[in-house]
Amino acid sequence: MESDEEGIYDVESDASINYNSSDDGIYSEGENTAHGEANDFMDEPTSYKCLTSDQIFNYMMKVVDEVNAILQLPPHITCILLNHFKWDKEKLMERYYEGDQDKIFEEAQTINPFRLKGKVVSSNTNNITSFSMQSTKRPLTTQEVCDICYLPSQHMNGLQCGHFFCIDCWNEYLRIKIIDEGQGQKIACPANDCNILTDYETILSLLRGSDIKTKYHQRLTDGFVMSHHLMKWCPSPGCSVVVKVTTAGTRNVTCICGHAFCFHCLQPIHEPVRCPLLKKWLRKCNDDSETAHWISANTKECPKCRATIEKNGGCNHMICQNKSCKFDFCWICLSAWSPHGSSWYNCNRYDANDSVAARTAQEKSRAALNRYLFYCDRYMNHRQSLELEHKLYSKIKFKMEEMQQHNMSWIEVQFLKKAVDILCKCRNTLKYTYVFAFYLRSNNQATIFEANQKDLEMATERLSEYLERDVTTDELSNIKQKVQDKAKYCEGRCEALLRHVYEGYDMDLWEYLDE
Amino acid sequence: MANISISRVKREFAEVVKSEEAKRCGICIKMLNENNFTKLLGEITGPPDTPYEGGKFLVDIEIPDSYPFNPPKMKFITRIWHPNISSVTGAICLDILKDNWAAALTLRTVLMSLQVLLSAAEPDDPQDAVVAKQYNENIHLFMKTARHWSEAYAKARPIKTQDFHEKVRKLSETGFSDDSCRTALSKSGWDEQRGMETLLDS
Repeated sequence: MESDEEGIYDVESDASINYNSSDDGIYSEGENTAHGEANDFMDEPTSYKCLTSDQIFNYMMKVVDEVNAILQLPPHITCILLNHFKWDKEKLMERYYEGDQDKIFEEAQTINPFRLKGKVVSSNTNNITSFSMQSTKRPLTTQEVCDICYLPSQHMNGLQCGHFFCIDCWNEYLRIKIIDEGQGQKIACPANDCNILTDYETILSLLRGSDIKTKYHQRLTDGFVMSHHLMKWCPSPGCSVVVKVTTAGTRNVTCICGHAFCFHCLQPIHEPVRCPLLKKWLRKCNDDSETAHWISANTKECPKCRATIEKNGGCNHMICQNKSCKFDFCWICLSAWSPHGSSWYNCNRYDANDSVAARTAQEKSRAALNRYLFYCDRYMNHRQSLELEHKLYSKIKFKMEEMQQHNMSWIEVQFLKKAVDILCKCRNTLKYTYVFAFYLRSNNQATIFEANQKDLEMATERLSEYLERDVTTDELSNIKQKVQDKAKYCEGRCEALLRHVYEGYDMDLWEYLDE
Repeated sequence: MANISISRVKREFAEVVKSEEAKRCGICIKMLNENNFTKLLGEITGPPDTPYEGGKFLVDIEIPDSYPFNPPKMKFITRIWHPNISSVTGAICLDILKDNWAAALTLRTVLMSLQVLLSAAEPDDPQDAVVAKQYNENIHLFMKTARHWSEAYAKARPIKTQDFHEKVRKLSETGFSDDSCRTALSKSGWDEQRGMETLLDS
């Protein structure tokens, strides 16, 4: 599935680059959308698109231009202002036209371009692009000493605040800020006590090397992407693609890097369970609440000093090993040992009030642990299977080549890859059904859910078994029919299960246990 | 060590040596080993009209590879009683050595800032909570303790803390070192009984 999808996306992303570089640069929603994956999932009638860091930068500039049509400022200054207002255009406009403009520039840590010293700037847009560069470079006639490296340099650069440094020091400074500290929008002038922010125009003119420029684009657009609720960075490591959805309801997306994730919580796709429950589950799996469960199910506390004790022998006469305690007690009834040995041994007598409370608490704890382990075991098992089944792709490739040598066309053998796609998707869904089931309170709908789960599990196992074993031995003529049958059935069961769960969400049929 | 960092430290050296201002304020920088520009030793003279007056305070300076884009690491070698400097480790709490570092700052300006810190403590942003508490609650006792530490560790001329010297001497007869006795007494407001308890508890 992955490579197939990638092909589609590549074409589309190329198309959008072309589209972007056209004169008006307008981005239209619904263009270049990725339908492939979206259609596979039932609650995804919507679409999304993937933007590379250049595209997102252009998109950001388009927003800047929109605002600039009204504010008539140099675009890099508008960019700083917008970032200060978290890309809330209306708020910026409101403040800009109602309040003290100088104060806004000061808050945003930039300099009002209309108040540059010794420079009268008309608000004519033609002048705007030229004056930022004029003010950041000094005439090359004199050599000056850079305040950072103390070496004379002919290439001194600075911001409008008037602090000038040599180009080598600028590059080193920016490298540390961008690469080491991961900053973009909030890089201030390197001078002491100067909080004027660098603008992208100056930085891009100073930076040497395309790697760092790409990184800078990414960092620069970070604030823009984060403030935009319909855009998110792909969480895959090293991927610098932004996924932009058209409606907030979109959940399952696949980045052009091939990583499929939930747009809401950035976890890998986790149907049918919803984000909050998944989060709860992952926290439960990660933290040591289960350790605590184990402790309470398998140990007792010393009745005197409360030290946790695990029994390691058959004898029930316990002596607390805590050096300052050394209490002798009975493991069974948790009272002092002395009456057991000498006078009256009453450990066998069932006392409804006393030890029962402690014991039921322990039993409850033990039952909860067993229940968790039951679901966790199945969750982990499917996860492992899913990982192993990814290996099937290479195995299947061989088979597909073999079949192509036996008078079958390339297109005819694609069913095998499709089947593995379906298998992986069903496996993934199965894995998360156990998370859902763990939190589900049993009722009639839950019983139906479990029946669906059972069907899906059986169908998936049959498909898995066939693809893993029988496919190598079966006659070529039989394979296609069998694989397609099984895959189709599997897919149908998966859809039925998901439809039922989503209907349940819509109609509020699910009740949850408070864990 | 990156090129820029070496050339910068070399030039800073020249600057400190030349600078009249540095001489006047009593600031100097030395190398610990010849031609090693990463480990330096700074010296600050305690500013007048403070308990540190006349003391010579040594500062350990470590130059990171990424200097001057990241701040130098500094800490006091000479023990000092000051709210923003740890009385135990000599660690310094100063904004320009952390987030507010700017590449255009120099070792000289940092040492001068340290000197300013000696004359204007900021007890609301303390490094050493015990000292800061004393500063806020009993400024006179703080001043005298700080003076005493300057006399004991920074070779400041002894003038008015003879009684503290006496107390340290007496307590040290128990066998604890002078340093631990002084610290214990300073932390317990120079009460000998509580000083002894502090010593025994630690």
